[in-house]
Amino acid sequence: MSAENILLKISSVRKNFAEVLALDNVSFDIKSGEVVGLVGSNGAGKTTLLRLMSGVYRPSSGSITLGDDTPVHLMRDHLGVVPESTGLYSRLTAWENIRYHSRLYGIDDSVSWKRTLKFAQSLDMEENLSRYTKGFSRGMRQKTALLRALAHGPKVLLLDEPTAGLDITSARTVRSLVEQIKQEGGTVVYSTHQLFEAQQVCDRIIIIHNGNVMADGSPEQLISDNNCATLEEAYVALTQEKARVRFEDSKRDKGFTKVWHKLFRPKTPNLSEIKDVIDDE
Amino acid sequence: MMSKSTQRIKTIAKKEVIEFVRDWRTIVAIIIIPILMFPVLFIIFPVLLESEAAELDNKIVNIEIQSNEYPLFLIETFNQTYTKVAYVNATFNNSLSIPMNDLDRVRNMEIDAILRLNYTDDIWYYSVIHLSTSEGSSEAKNRIISSLITFENNITELRISQGGLEVDSTLDPIRWDGDLSKADVATEGEQAGLILSLFIPLVLAIWTFSSAIQPSIDMTAGERERGTLEALLGLPCTRNELLLGKWLGVATITGVGVLLQIVGLLFAIGYLASSDFIGIPALSFGAIILIIISIMLFAIMVVALELALAMRSHSVKEAGSILGPAIILIIFPALFTQVINLDGIESFWFGIPVINILLALRELLLDRVILEHVVIWIASSVFYASLAAYYAAKQFKREDIVTTLS
Repeated sequence: MSAENILLKISSVRKNFAEVLALDNVSFDIKSGEVVGLVGSNGAGKTTLLRLMSGVYRPSSGSITLGDDTPVHLMRDHLGVVPESTGLYSRLTAWENIRYHSRLYGIDDSVSWKRTLKFAQSLDMEENLSRYTKGFSRGMRQKTALLRALAHGPKVLLLDEPTAGLDITSARTVRSLVEQIKQEGGTVVYSTHQLFEAQQVCDRIIIIHNGNVMADGSPEQLISDNNCATLEEAYVALTQEKARVRFEDSKRDKGFTKVWHKLFRPKTPNLSEIKDVIDDE
Repeated sequence: MMSKSTQRIKTIAKKEVIEFVRDWRTIVAIIIIPILMFPVLFIIFPVLLESEAAELDNKIVNIEIQSNEYPLFLIETFNQTYTKVAYVNATFNNSLSIPMNDLDRVRNMEIDAILRLNYTDDIWYYSVIHLSTSEGSSEAKNRIISSLITFENNITELRISQGGLEVDSTLDPIRWDGDLSKADVATEGEQAGLILSLFIPLVLAIWTFSSAIQPSIDMTAGERERGTLEALLGLPCTRNELLLGKWLGVATITGVGVLLQIVGLLFAIGYLASSDFIGIPALSFGAIILIIISIMLFAIMVVALELALAMRSHSVKEAGSILGPAIILIIFPALFTQVINLDGIESFWFGIPVINILLALRELLLDRVILEHVVIWIASSVFYASLAAYYAAKQFKREDIVTTLS
């Protein structure tokens, strides 16, 4: 990989949340014009990594830099982010949602409108720009969030599971848009746990498991390096260790809340009781 | 030319206000209710009470007078009311207040009330057997008491004149001479200030706190639950800009609500009162400026604190559970401040949070600008507002605010 092409550099990144180690010694580079897939199970650390890349989180150690070694949180105006939740305001129209973010990026309304119209045509969203997002389907929300992330002309687009929960047609449209951005020389980081999708969309796949990078390469390279017939087999071979629970799920109550919850905890039958019932039947 | 930071703060605040105002429930909460609350309380409610009272005046009630002597004058006093009077000659061996056989008659509403009289040694002993939970019985009792007062006055006057004394000068030997209001050296403006100083600080404190609760929660814990906060945190605005934008949004919404409520309050007082009752408070320019400063400092503190507590909460529900009861922290000091005597007040009161601003408002509405007090309440309020802002900034800078726990 030639150094001059590197756009985003992740170096020895560690991320702790109290005693939980979410990411451990993660390092990789992303070149300009690449579409990179982050693949992993729930709780693997994909969202944490994307939040670090978008500057929402800061690494506990290591660094994430954009361009000429500037920490990414200082370069957020060059990023376009679509979180998994899409994050649209229901009492604003689609265009108002887009315009709000563009203004916070410091972009003139006329510039963001032109860019929005250009991509809205690809996503078949022109008619919906003046509608309140309250009644939008999951697909329309996702498309609006994509338009919002693209309106200021970012250098890197960070997508967190952009097709999760979408119908086939909407998912296909989103993938087509990513393809269009790629054709125009854009750089995309695409988080997903759909292997076929990563294979279809991405030039490179980074497999993350329990906070570690298990593999990094093109789909073909991952298959051949692991002596497997398919990418799915390669993925299974690389992620044999039991997946941990999500960080949020692992959080425990503290202090008075802990005592209070204990008082009202419902009685759950233990495993031996369940086995006895099954044996009796 | 506006700086990028100011532009971003303005954009955030504007969006918050627009989004909030688009909810019709918000219009009801921040415009309709504040405008109508006091007029309804002070104008419509008394009208309703009056109409209820008139209805009671026209109600026919049945009373029975039990007595060992026939009180002719007393019975005549009932003639002008809608009261049916029955007389029963009776003598009593026990206390007049013990209902005895009349208990069931009154409880079953066979009769609304019974007046018992026992004339012994020139004194009329009496009691009224009644049912306090019945509107008709209570009205009957009130009419009886009213008639008894007239009866008593009549007997008193008769006995004074029989004793050879002049009735008027005997009953009213000490009298005010002239117009009562002219003897008060306080100006009308100062009197108006005194009346307003009893309402405005109370309304301002409670309404500022309570009307900021909902927008504070919506813009913090609400954003987190809806997933909009994560997208916002990825933008190039700083957490402090985010806090300031949201603070400005909440303060605008709350400010409009408080202002409209005060307008409603002044309208209600003005409508109800005669021209002598209330006027425009006579305030110096300095007092007006200090009032504005005190309100701003209070708003900075309250809104920052509410935003911080809401942001610290894991969910909208938790934020509501914390901020709802927290209003007690305002209500108690607000009520307490109303009874503190401002004449010769010790200066330390002006250093206590919440109480300092409320006392300052009371003093300023009386146009009392006491330099020592002003310095103490401004310094302490700036300190408390800074603490609240620091705490809010700390909450907004937390990494885990992005995590949706619900």
